[in-house]
Amino acid sequence: MIQALPPPPPAVEAPAPERSAATEDRLRVAAALTEARVSVDSGFSGASIVLYGAVFNPGDDPTDVVVVVRGPDAPVRLVKKTRNLGVWLNSRPVVFEGAPGFYMTASTRPLGDIADFGDLRRLGVGVDHLRINAPEESRVVTRYGVRDVVISRLGEDYLDWRRAVIRLREAAALYNTDPEGVRFVDRGLFRAEIELPAVAPTGQYFAEVWLFQDGDPVSVSNLTLTVEKVGIERDIFEFAHNRPWTYGVLCVLLAAFTGWAASRIFRRQ
Amino acid sequence: MDIYLPIAEVSVNWPLLVLLGAVVGFISGLFGIGGGFLMAPILIFLGIPPPVAVASQASHVVASSTSGVISYTTRKAVDYRIGGVMAAGGVLGALAGVELFRYLLLLGQADLVVALSYLIFLGAIGTLMLYESLGQILRRVRGQVTPHKERRRPLWLYGLPLRMRFPRSGLYISAIPPFALGAFAGVLSAIMGVGGGFILVPAMLYILRMKASVVVGTSLLQIIITTAMTTVLQAGRNQTVDIVLSTILLLGGVVGAQYGARWSGRFRAEELRAVLGLIVLLVGIQMGLELFVRPSDLFGFAPGVAE
Repeated sequence: MIQALPPPPPAVEAPAPERSAATEDRLRVAAALTEARVSVDSGFSGASIVLYGAVFNPGDDPTDVVVVVRGPDAPVRLVKKTRNLGVWLNSRPVVFEGAPGFYMTASTRPLGDIADFGDLRRLGVGVDHLRINAPEESRVVTRYGVRDVVISRLGEDYLDWRRAVIRLREAAALYNTDPEGVRFVDRGLFRAEIELPAVAPTGQYFAEVWLFQDGDPVSVSNLTLTVEKVGIERDIFEFAHNRPWTYGVLCVLLAAFTGWAASRIFRRQ
Repeated sequence: MDIYLPIAEVSVNWPLLVLLGAVVGFISGLFGIGGGFLMAPILIFLGIPPPVAVASQASHVVASSTSGVISYTTRKAVDYRIGGVMAAGGVLGALAGVELFRYLLLLGQADLVVALSYLIFLGAIGTLMLYESLGQILRRVRGQVTPHKERRRPLWLYGLPLRMRFPRSGLYISAIPPFALGAFAGVLSAIMGVGGGFILVPAMLYILRMKASVVVGTSLLQIIITTAMTTVLQAGRNQTVDIVLSTILLLGGVVGAQYGARWSGRFRAEELRAVLGLIVLLVGIQMGLELFVRPSDLFGFAPGVAE
């Protein structure tokens, strides 16, 4: 927007002095990440990022800090096994949307003690309050010439399905709830750790640091984190997705060459 | 010692993968098989997503079969004519198989079909091999003479049109049965991630009645062409071939295969077949078991997320 240009700087006025934490008169939270960029290279086996921050609290009322980290959305297809004639078979897959590929909360106390259900639900804080939903209506989608039914009316076991999405992602360390993950290291100064497993999806992550007082959210600080493939890992991934046929032919040639080379080397010996 | 696989998007211990490649390569050299039926289940067990495991190890089969075909060609033990007919079928089968696999992934039934294929084909072939080779060992121990087998081909092989001469195999039969056999192996190669040698070799011996000396070399030729096709198709259609994973497996695999081939001379053929039959049967049962055992979690992710 052109009209949103910042006003010209005042000509003579001296810059306002930085206000220190002690002189802050408003209840506020500030936070930062040790790394805003996580590189996925050939040695990547997960990453641990430290989030640190400060609570500016002019009063004496105790506060709670909740850190929420949300990865890029990754819809899932879920199947349920049912027993038919003694054999365990998969049901038709159900697509769940709105499930982030990574989600964690860390807090000073269990979330239920910090705020009430309604506030947490409204803010989407906590793994139970993720808006994971099967699409509202049953519809038929054709993908790659295959008719795929996306069902939503799951009936009474809907909650079981929803819980299964969370449980399976928790098992893969993609969803995590740590009620003691935020630790105060000094008065007003806290830290939390974000543990990214090796299977964490690449893309843009959003971190929210909420400050609660007496059960009400009073301040929030937003941070972003980028997880991206770098170096040869990214080159291979992009090659495989941009030029899949060339990539496939190259894989075969490499394999055939290795086989031929091995037989030559071993015959000489 | 962990390495991140760019397509599988998981981190694995690479010395373990080299070792796995070497062990499977050794077994494949020892028994003259591709070893795909062993590799795919172990990779899945190690946490590689099944579609990536199946697609990536196909190129491992290409490498080990290439060095096999070279050594069989120098011994004039490859019938390129019938191998070509089978490979033509194999290419068609691979095309159909990759599309079928894609469809099954969308339906969420890929693991059912993979488990069933392993149970049925490996179970049947393993049982037959074990039965036949144990009988032969027992007869040898008792000092009996092996009964002479009737060397007659099934009559229907002669009733079909498109007859061709295959001098090296000593055959003058219709091109349809080898073509169909190749196509069948091609479908299996796409679904199970195997070369299909365990089906091809017995079928070429007992149904087509090819000369035994050219059977293994010719089946390897068919396997190379089919699995090469499968690899290209899986990469092109599904983007599930992980070149880092297959290269690590190859390094161990080609070395293991050479040592396995040297060791194979130390054992009697029927003893080798008995051990192989047992391995094949056990893998088949292990893969099939999941159909009957109550799963620890009733829910599971279906691969192939909607785009």
